[in-house]
Amino acid sequence: MYGQGLLKGLGITLKHLFGKAVTEQYPDQRPNLSPRFHGSFALDVEKCIACGICAKACPNNVIKIASSKGENKKRRLDDYKIELGYCLFCGLCVESCPTDAINFTQDFELASYTRQDTVLHLYNRASHETDGSGESDLACCQGTEG
Amino acid sequence: MEKLNYLFVDLAQSLRSWFAGMGLSPFAIDMLVVLVAVVGIITFVLLNVLYLVYLERKISAYFQDRLGPNRVGPRGLLQTTMDVLKLIGKEDIRPTVADRWVFFLAPVIVFVPAVMMYAVVPFGEGMIAVDLNIGIFYFIAISSTTTIAFLMAGWGSNNKYSLLGGMRTVAQMVSYEIPLVFSLLGVIMLTGSLKMSDIVAAQKDMWFIVLQPVAFLIFFIAATAELNRGPFDLPEGEQEIIAGPHTEYSGMKFAMFFLAEYANLVSVSAIAVTLFLGGWRGPWLPSWLWFLIKLYGMILLFMWVRWTYPRIRIDHLMHLNWKFLLPLSFVNILVTGVGIKLYQWYQAMGWGW
Repeated sequence: MYGQGLLKGLGITLKHLFGKAVTEQYPDQRPNLSPRFHGSFALDVEKCIACGICAKACPNNVIKIASSKGENKKRRLDDYKIELGYCLFCGLCVESCPTDAINFTQDFELASYTRQDTVLHLYNRASHETDGSGESDLACCQGTEG
Repeated sequence: MEKLNYLFVDLAQSLRSWFAGMGLSPFAIDMLVVLVAVVGIITFVLLNVLYLVYLERKISAYFQDRLGPNRVGPRGLLQTTMDVLKLIGKEDIRPTVADRWVFFLAPVIVFVPAVMMYAVVPFGEGMIAVDLNIGIFYFIAISSTTTIAFLMAGWGSNNKYSLLGGMRTVAQMVSYEIPLVFSLLGVIMLTGSLKMSDIVAAQKDMWFIVLQPVAFLIFFIAATAELNRGPFDLPEGEQEIIAGPHTEYSGMKFAMFFLAEYANLVSVSAIAVTLFLGGWRGPWLPSWLWFLIKLYGMILLFMWVRWTYPRIRIDHLMHLNWKFLLPLSFVNILVTGVGIKLYQWYQAMGWGW
């Protein structure tokens, strides 16, 4: 009969009218994120060998690494920054890291007022050493592991 | 109970005697009472519109498993009030090449008939601003003038998308006007009067939706198209014609179109209630409360349909009207006429009920 489908449709919406809303009240209720969520980045400076594989793996060239020769002619990290404004959050840098030094965090609230603020500065040796204490006070240590 | 039923009638009566006590002439008293009625109706319309927008957003949210507005005020009740304040604060832009007066007048002309239609709506027992003897004809005549405003908006904007959208709206509204009027004809044939109070009185024993179910269906579909509501909300089409006739309108001018849309929703629902659902008739509760309950039932039905069906294509819309609704409304008139004649025969033969 004509119109049966129309009535069926009305029935379905009526069922949803009295159903439970699935809306997440975001700022009040925090989302439950999965462990592999692609949020911001965290760098474990202790593990980083400044090899630059992450920078090479990045399709958008957003990772900038500076390094220098330290004692025992070992390469050491001087500066690590990610231009999050251009980042795809594809995860190729995290996957390619041989020492598991770069990782995703659960932080997804990355909005900022200026373009400069979108650059994520994960490590800077100069500012680190003038700060005195060996403990890092930068964003580098909010990693999920290590 | 009796007191509540005649609450507004008594109020008008006491107002009238109060004015008489001030020593005014009968003409001045009539004018003042009409003025009060107009102010009352406009207040009713605007309050309804304000909270219908909120209702529509809430209902659509619930249909889609969302929560809807819930931030401004308790349960988001002040949301639309704040939206209106924001719209008033917006810059009123007029394109330099627009046809100045046509562009300016279109939102006014769309809103005025929307309010004028309420003159003949029987809100309750004895609660009708002007009980014209051609009430329903007046309603149809006024409601069909809205079309010209959409054409004016489309033309005055001097924008090809607006003009196309305006013409499309007019084509849709003019087409659906015909089955809408013909569906009302069945009710008028049964009543034998165009007067609103007579139509309500004729439904004393039985609502006309029982005698005229097809007419109600046609009326409902045609009214949905007349109101430019889903699934017939084609005056706007993001892909083809942007926002149609309201593309160039901003701030309060756009709000006028929006207000008129909801004011028309209320008035069309009021007409549906009066013609098919027995008007203000109902047991126990005061008549105006019954009217409001039925009115909101109709409005919720319109919203339910809007948030259920996807919008249809413009040519399908025209086909539905000219190839299905119009012939069906003709058949309905024919069957109603034959039925009335047969009933009269039965009564004349003495076999009647």
